[in-house]
Amino acid sequence: MSCASNAIQNAEDDHMNKLSRKIKLLVFISAVLIVELFFLISFAGAVVKFRYITSLYRDDAGSAFQQPEGVACNNESALIVADTGNGRLLRFTFEEGSVRTGTVEIKVDQQSYPIKLEMNSKGEIFTFDRKHRRITRLSPGGQFKGYFDLTGLPSPTSYVIRSFTLDMNDTVYVLDILSQRVLVLSPEGKYIRQIQCPENYGFFSDVAVDFKGTLFIVDSVKGVVYSAANSAASFTPFAESLKEYVRFPASLATDRRGRIYLVDRNGGSILILGQDGSFLGRQSGLGWKEGRLNYPSQVCINNKGEVFVADTRNNRVQVFEMVE
Amino acid sequence: MKPRTIPLQYKTFSLLSIMSLLVFAPPVYSQNEFKLKLGAKGQICLDCHETLKQTLKKRYVHPLLKKGECTGCHEPHTSSHKSLLTTKDTKLCSSCHQEVLPEEARSSHEVVLQGKCQTCHDSHGSNNKSILLKSGSALCFDCHKDIEKNVSEVRYSHKSVVQDKGCLNCHNPHASVKSKALLANEVPSLCNTCHQTNKLSFQKQHMNYPVTTANCISCHNPHGSNNRGIVFDVAHAAVTKRKCKECHQSPTSLKTKQQGTQLCRNCHRKMVEETFDKNRVHWPLIDNVGCLHCHGPHATKEKKLLKESVINVCGKCHSDTVELQELSKKNPNNENLCEPVKTGNCISCHSPHAADQVLLIRQPSVSVDLCGRCHEWESHSTHPIGDKVLDPRDKNLTVECLSCHTACGTGNNPAMMTFNTTYELCIQCHPERRR
Repeated sequence: MSCASNAIQNAEDDHMNKLSRKIKLLVFISAVLIVELFFLISFAGAVVKFRYITSLYRDDAGSAFQQPEGVACNNESALIVADTGNGRLLRFTFEEGSVRTGTVEIKVDQQSYPIKLEMNSKGEIFTFDRKHRRITRLSPGGQFKGYFDLTGLPSPTSYVIRSFTLDMNDTVYVLDILSQRVLVLSPEGKYIRQIQCPENYGFFSDVAVDFKGTLFIVDSVKGVVYSAANSAASFTPFAESLKEYVRFPASLATDRRGRIYLVDRNGGSILILGQDGSFLGRQSGLGWKEGRLNYPSQVCINNKGEVFVADTRNNRVQVFEMVE
Repeated sequence: MKPRTIPLQYKTFSLLSIMSLLVFAPPVYSQNEFKLKLGAKGQICLDCHETLKQTLKKRYVHPLLKKGECTGCHEPHTSSHKSLLTTKDTKLCSSCHQEVLPEEARSSHEVVLQGKCQTCHDSHGSNNKSILLKSGSALCFDCHKDIEKNVSEVRYSHKSVVQDKGCLNCHNPHASVKSKALLANEVPSLCNTCHQTNKLSFQKQHMNYPVTTANCISCHNPHGSNNRGIVFDVAHAAVTKRKCKECHQSPTSLKTKQQGTQLCRNCHRKMVEETFDKNRVHWPLIDNVGCLHCHGPHATKEKKLLKESVINVCGKCHSDTVELQELSKKNPNNENLCEPVKTGNCISCHSPHAADQVLLIRQPSVSVDLCGRCHEWESHSTHPIGDKVLDPRDKNLTVECLSCHTACGTGNNPAMMTFNTTYELCIQCHPERRR
């Protein structure tokens, strides 16, 4: 009897040992998988997607947008739309996925065809007018505060502005297509330095800056994004030509995590690149229904992960939410 | 008696020796692969292929045929390729003549790239050098008819084109490692081999401007022209009137007085002012290159001094759109393709300098004002269209031609529709009709 019980005991011990070995193996495999997953997420860059929230079509008075080309946003729920075809700006408050009533119409004589918007840290609005090719500075309430004139430029002193952007310190970066350079200016417009654009270009359309002060410019014809680290003297290719993914990238934006958003005007989509130039996804596509884009012009991303797109030929501004 | 057995190592050694002999032995059959009768080589094929007897009498005969090595190119019995060739006809010649297409070529003749050597050469023999089908430029003109037309019709011809080797005076027939367009050398080095730039007459003709290093073909048509000095037919007035100083600084330098559009504005003031008065100026017009993105400053063969045809000029930047246009043209379902798309006349709908509308469209209303110019009937008698018809997909849009069609072409979609089939298109707005 005791022999039999010993045998049973031994068999049970054997079984337990085998089981514990199996559990250890499983734990080990799981740990390896978790570590791999961690590395994949950390280094490969998470895939980013847009989820459609809503579209803005008109102001409070019911006046419809006409070919809006500019959009600016901040973390205080302010949303400014350049209603280009109507020659006006509209100030909205966008909270909890919808627009609050109380839209402010901003119309000043000094601008007739606003195509690009930016807001500085004080909430002032900077607009770039395509007809006059000048940057206008407006108070947060929309009062004209003057033209943003560039002063103290080294030779050549003449310039043609194609686009501009602001960083977190309100430093202004102007893309000058007459001398193919990016001018770095103080918030008052005083020249600080310049960075020459690369040679053998097609056509540079836009400039953007990320939270680290890295500058980006896009060559729409060749589909190449160039970057220049803060205080770098020249631009270098940020990624290979993106012509495989885009038709005519004409606008750039960055978010608080340093991702780059490339607006493909002819393709009706937005390409997302990681900080290392990796391809993180292509969102939306050409179309008329909500969620689709037709000749998008400018994109703005706030810290809440809300993405505002000036959907120009669809006469609306679309709002998406970032999903990772 | 016990049979004698051979040790295993000897067996292995013998086997390996036999195998190595089989592998490394010279092909003894190569001397007479097909076991032909004595004296049959080079003759037996001609017994049936009598025309080759005539070919052999020609001035230039392919060396293999001359030696009777028909099997250099043909299989005698069976082949998977036409004419019993040993390999595909587009690859056969290059198996011996690799030097024809150098790896470092900067330009290559399309037919050479395609391996269509017989477009120019008779593979067996010819009375023309290099067993060419025709001699001199006549051969080139079989394909390049536009050049032939130009050469035969112009008042002033370029001697190099009509003398001696014709086209081959300047071009390499197969590929060029030195220049584009198969040119034997870069311009102006190529031109300077005949034209002595240090001569007083040359300098006088060029108003003493230092043009020796300039690009000659920015003014001169190398294939001949109706203008003296074979200046391209469409010449800038300042060039024909020899008023170089209108744009350039003193004859010691070719530097222009101003940059970009600023320079052109001095004479073309009205046009530039009208352009700048529009909401949207075409961006390249106002950068450092300005007008010269599209126009030649001196002389060109295109109207309005365009550097190339409209579609080629636009396509330099808008290759994505031109790609769709090209696909639309090739689509067999697009027999009735919109005429400007078919001919690549972008400026029929777009204003190349400036416009008040997005995409530089000439008229405010695409449907009535723009498409209606040609499609008058459809502008009123078609699917409900116009300012009062809302697009169900977007409350800020009205139904217009571009609601269903894409004006520059839609690749493989028929009738320039934005969707692949009419059904797919219609259910966008009429979901109740979905099957």
